[in-house]
Amino acid sequence: MGRTPDTSLKRKRPDPKSTSQTLSDAERVLYNLIRSKEDMGIWTRDMKRETNLQDNVVTKSLKSLLAKNLIKEVVNIQNKGKKHYMAVEFEPSKELTGGAWYVDGNLDTEFIKILKDQCLKHIYKLKVATIEMISESIRRSGLCKVECTTQQISEIVRALVLDNDVMEVRSTETGDFASIPLGTVCYRCSSKIGPGGTSKVGAMASIPCGVCPRINECTPDGIISPRTCVYFNKWLDF
Amino acid sequence: MATQYSIKLAISLISSHFGDLVAKVCECLLRKGSLTLADITRFTELPQAQVKNCLLVLIQHNCVQAFSIQIEGGVGAAPKVITQYTAIFDNILHRMRFPKFLTIVSEELDKECEEILEGLFQHGRLTLEQIILRAVSNQNEGNSTVQDAVRESFVRIVSSHYVERCPASEPFLAPPDEEENPTKKRAKSARLAEEIETLEKRAISAAAPLESERFAVITDTGTDVKSGDRSGSRFLDTAIGEKRKHEALEMDRETMATICEKEVLWRANFEAFIRRLRHKACVANVRARMDDGACTVLNAMLEATRNAESRIKTENSVPLSMDAILAEVMKSEGGRSMTVERVRAALGQLGCRSSPRGAEDSHSVDLRNIIEIAQNDEMESIVLKRYGRDAYRIFRLLSKTGRLVETDKISDITFVDKKEAPKILYNLWKDNYLHMEKLTSQGSKQSDFLLWKVNRSSLWKQILDEMCHAALNLSQRLAYEFEQEHEILQLPREKRVGAQGKRFERIRKVKVILESSLMKLDDAIMLFHDF
Repeated sequence: MGRTPDTSLKRKRPDPKSTSQTLSDAERVLYNLIRSKEDMGIWTRDMKRETNLQDNVVTKSLKSLLAKNLIKEVVNIQNKGKKHYMAVEFEPSKELTGGAWYVDGNLDTEFIKILKDQCLKHIYKLKVATIEMISESIRRSGLCKVECTTQQISEIVRALVLDNDVMEVRSTETGDFASIPLGTVCYRCSSKIGPGGTSKVGAMASIPCGVCPRINECTPDGIISPRTCVYFNKWLDF
Repeated sequence: MATQYSIKLAISLISSHFGDLVAKVCECLLRKGSLTLADITRFTELPQAQVKNCLLVLIQHNCVQAFSIQIEGGVGAAPKVITQYTAIFDNILHRMRFPKFLTIVSEELDKECEEILEGLFQHGRLTLEQIILRAVSNQNEGNSTVQDAVRESFVRIVSSHYVERCPASEPFLAPPDEEENPTKKRAKSARLAEEIETLEKRAISAAAPLESERFAVITDTGTDVKSGDRSGSRFLDTAIGEKRKHEALEMDRETMATICEKEVLWRANFEAFIRRLRHKACVANVRARMDDGACTVLNAMLEATRNAESRIKTENSVPLSMDAILAEVMKSEGGRSMTVERVRAALGQLGCRSSPRGAEDSHSVDLRNIIEIAQNDEMESIVLKRYGRDAYRIFRLLSKTGRLVETDKISDITFVDKKEAPKILYNLWKDNYLHMEKLTSQGSKQSDFLLWKVNRSSLWKQILDEMCHAALNLSQRLAYEFEQEHEILQLPREKRVGAQGKRFERIRKVKVILESSLMKLDDAIMLFHDF
């Protein structure tokens, strides 16, 4: 993250700042350690290991540092049980939060869903569009309260491509592509769907055997067999 | 390929068409490879005469090829020639596609050709004389005009390559020449494996008629096959347009024609049908993904070069010049309104590679790529159904990238929660969909990274096997339903009321759904196995 840390702060030396004057030795050691980890923060167990301080000393010092508003507790997406601390001036890194799409360590599915729907709607309206066009169109519609970067829109569209709701195509400069330079990557809704349509199901996926969890135990004369199969019975129950 | 369930499916087809004895012999050949008559008798524990008859049935129906091979004799004994039999797996599976093949012929040619093909499917292989006799007995009248009409239809179906001459009954495979063999230096075991693998293929290619002979037909027009009479003037198809100057030459042609009618055996050419279905699958896929323009152009290109393709699994369509494409596009209804610009755009959409060849440039379409996309669609739809939408997205990501991707990266791109992603990945890995690699970084803190990718070749094989299993299940369930409702199906129309009427309605629906599912599933099997 674009911050340039002041290297002098890393040294375990009495800090010139006034606040540190009031810290005890243990607190200072701990504070410097936490601060040296910058936006990664540090786990309490690691603190104990690296400082060789006693458990109760660490706990007490952390409490005091928190009270003095020098450090803060952050959630680690990888492991919520692990308490991480970080100096107040840093923002948690992407590794800790999970990135822009995470809120309090949880994937913001609601927000993503809204944004996906919006993108899909705008692509459908535009027929074919580049990322910039989609992004611009959404911005102009003013529906999104939150400002979305083009980068974010591009991530959403990439997910839509993986969902097979949107197709990546290259401009041919004819027809719908008329306004887009030749060869530019554009997106358009998959032909199989309008908004809210469902995709075509494959031959195998449309029969019970295609999704059968017991297919490996199924034999012509076994306990599970096509003759006695409950999924078949349900399927052929008219 | 012959996976476990594909063999079971093949055996069940043979068993339902020819009974259990033939199926037993066929199973023995499918599981053990090429065998001599004595070997088959020993393995199946059937009387030799019976085995022989079973083999005759299988050979008649193009499911088995015989070939002779020279083996080294024992100590001091001279090498001897033995006859071996090998099952032709693909031809057995093609048996469930007969209705599809018949539809192709009835759409592209006509009813008469369809009847000829039907006869060939029923009897495996026939001479032209037998085909004519069959047609005559069906129609209950048989003057030479009717017979000539059949001859005409026959010439048409042969020239469309849907019917071909049968392969040689027992080609001799010469022992590989040790002197010329460049593999000599390699490990003996490797060479052995290679030889075993190619023996069957060698037998089949040795038996195949020469390409020039394969579709050569001389008919004896004007002859009545029943009496041998010749009524009216005689024309030989090959002689059309040629002056009959030499009596001797004329006699030769007559004899050749008679031989051709009475002795040459004909059979359906599955290869041509499968190629046709492959083209259709490509066109259908393009229609679904792109627009009608691209679809029309592809169709026209394949149509123009259909007899020029030599193999089924051709990577690219046969190169065509722009003029040739335009000429063919114009023939179709949808193509008439297309401008040159539009055709060019469609070629671009199809990812056409144009390579300047001589003065004009030629275009060809990557068919392999289209087939792969269709396979991916089928595969992904299975993943979606079995593992849900998140897994679907993950699978598509990995399938598209085609290389190892790290867990966190996957979760970021696909918007799957960081805690959920590993679980889904693990499930896919457990069921053999994914390949996983572990990386351990030895930095300040030791940490493991898991990398994943789609296990394409083994997954494709596994899915094909599951599809064959499913096809077997569908056909068995259908047989079972028929067995259960045997009496209901026999009911005359007026008795189909009340509870019995309901049961009749049900079995009718069951039949429709099972049969149509089986047809569609077979399309998918062809997609993964034949195309």
